[in-house]
Amino acid sequence: MEKELIIDKLTTIFRDVFSDNTIILKEEITANDIGSWNSLSHMLMIAEVENNFSIKFKLKEISKLKDVGTLIDLVDSKLS
Amino acid sequence: MKNSNQFQTHVISPLLTTISQFHERKAFCINEVFYTYKQLGELISNIRFAIRELNEDYIYFGLIANDDLETYASILALWLEGKAYVPLHPNQPLDRWKEIIKQTGIKTILSSGDNYESLNCKIVKTYNLAYKADLLEYDFSIDDGTDCYVLFTSGSTGTPKGVRINRTNISAFMDSFWNCGINITEEDKCLQCFDLTFDVSVQSFLAPLIKGACVYTIPHDQIKYSYVAGLLEDEHITFGAIAPSMLRYLKPYFDEIHCPGLKCCILTGEASPLDLVKQWEKCVPNAEIFDFYGPTETTIYCTYYKLNKGREIKTLNGMLSIGVPMKNVEAIVVDEEYNILSTGEKGELCISGDQVSAGYWNNPEKNAASFFEKEYNGKIQRFYHTGDLCYFDNDKHLMLYGRLDSQTKIQGYRVELGEIEFHAREFLKGANAIVVTFDNSIGNTELVLFAEGETVNTISLMDYLKTKLPFYMIPSKIIQEQQFPLNSNSKVDKIKLKKRISEI
Repeated sequence: MEKELIIDKLTTIFRDVFSDNTIILKEEITANDIGSWNSLSHMLMIAEVENNFSIKFKLKEISKLKDVGTLIDLVDSKLS
Repeated sequence: MKNSNQFQTHVISPLLTTISQFHERKAFCINEVFYTYKQLGELISNIRFAIRELNEDYIYFGLIANDDLETYASILALWLEGKAYVPLHPNQPLDRWKEIIKQTGIKTILSSGDNYESLNCKIVKTYNLAYKADLLEYDFSIDDGTDCYVLFTSGSTGTPKGVRINRTNISAFMDSFWNCGINITEEDKCLQCFDLTFDVSVQSFLAPLIKGACVYTIPHDQIKYSYVAGLLEDEHITFGAIAPSMLRYLKPYFDEIHCPGLKCCILTGEASPLDLVKQWEKCVPNAEIFDFYGPTETTIYCTYYKLNKGREIKTLNGMLSIGVPMKNVEAIVVDEEYNILSTGEKGELCISGDQVSAGYWNNPEKNAASFFEKEYNGKIQRFYHTGDLCYFDNDKHLMLYGRLDSQTKIQGYRVELGEIEFHAREFLKGANAIVVTFDNSIGNTELVLFAEGETVNTISLMDYLKTKLPFYMIPSKIIQEQQFPLNSNSKVDKIKLKKRISEI
């Protein structure tokens, strides 16, 4: 899948899970940058990403997610 | 009265010995960067010089609770200077900071980051300070009654209340803590995953530093449970205190977690469910697991229960016993007339001893309501009302039923539902607002706010609450109801409101 498409799908998921239609994803965005991004919503976001892309994350992979950029890369690598 | 110097004995002397003895050893791992005890000692000294230049008599300093070496060094620098810190978390709304500053009369704030000009306080930068010399002695004429910190906890009437904890309290706590059989050495790698506005953070950083171990912290821009999982796996953490709610986030991945190097795990902040603990035990097969209980007012923890492998685990309603009082703590269970109840009889848990706070900041009414004197064991003792309903079992272990009032715990943080309702009613211009709790699909407690009215702008209300309350007090849902259902006592029927949550 093209990276652009991954970012598009992730944007839709982020806007839905974090209830914010203004979210524009950039690689450097972290949980600090989105008000409603907390442990609970992170768990929901991970579940939505797994469902939407038909992938499954290991805890080791989730623990390496530092920002949106690492999430995009992880999804990309799981799909390749 | 002669100063008892317990703070010198139990905190300062061991800490300064560690800094000099373990100069090259790692003191902190912060955002994947290691810092030595030498670096910590130099930073403490730099900040002490900066504090002295102010010629500030006032004991209380604000401290921006960032995740960096400067912030931890600031705490220790303030203590060595005979001062106290009042933490201000960067994720808290500005209005809350202003309320805390107004209450405490803070004039100076130590900051390792931004300037915060709008606060009308002197901001002292703690970064990029030039090293002059080591300044690591302690003036032991500083009275042990001097405060170490003031932590603001949720207030049921809408205003947060400041709990004062002094040097006697912290000394007594450290003495009690080691007496529980907790063993930390300079080889240990210790997790510190609590915000500095939460008192468990003090145990999490102070105990390891006293022993020369390394403290591993969590960056603010990371998701806690995820980052902790990474530390457990990659850094082979050997000791840590966590809240059960964090375990619930990790539970779907328990079959991937194997930490044979974890020697000791403290569960705290909330009631610990047995089934969750038994599953977690398999992930940490070599760990001693403790359940520690304690309100902020009794200094971090005041009772503890050690799970002994192979022996029966005491529970009530599926939750672990909170065990026995720590060394410097007396615990009694009383009825409404303050009569001490017998084994097996349910009543309010009350705590006395040197770990009990001197009181709330400038709040004589609350102090009168929360503390009382009673003769016990042959002397008049000052007790704190915990508000928790308990009984002693036949082995003198405490079994916890729950709260007597409308306080709850969210991810270990104390939340007075009344504080959230107060701010909601302010926004709704007096219309009724009720917060109820429910356990979500992973068993963690969530908050739902019901707002009564014909039309309620739930989005604006949520935005408003975010300007007033810390993140853990923000409801996960706001539900508008034209009219609240009433029960037979003409009070709002919270049971019916809770049922509405599952209907939606």
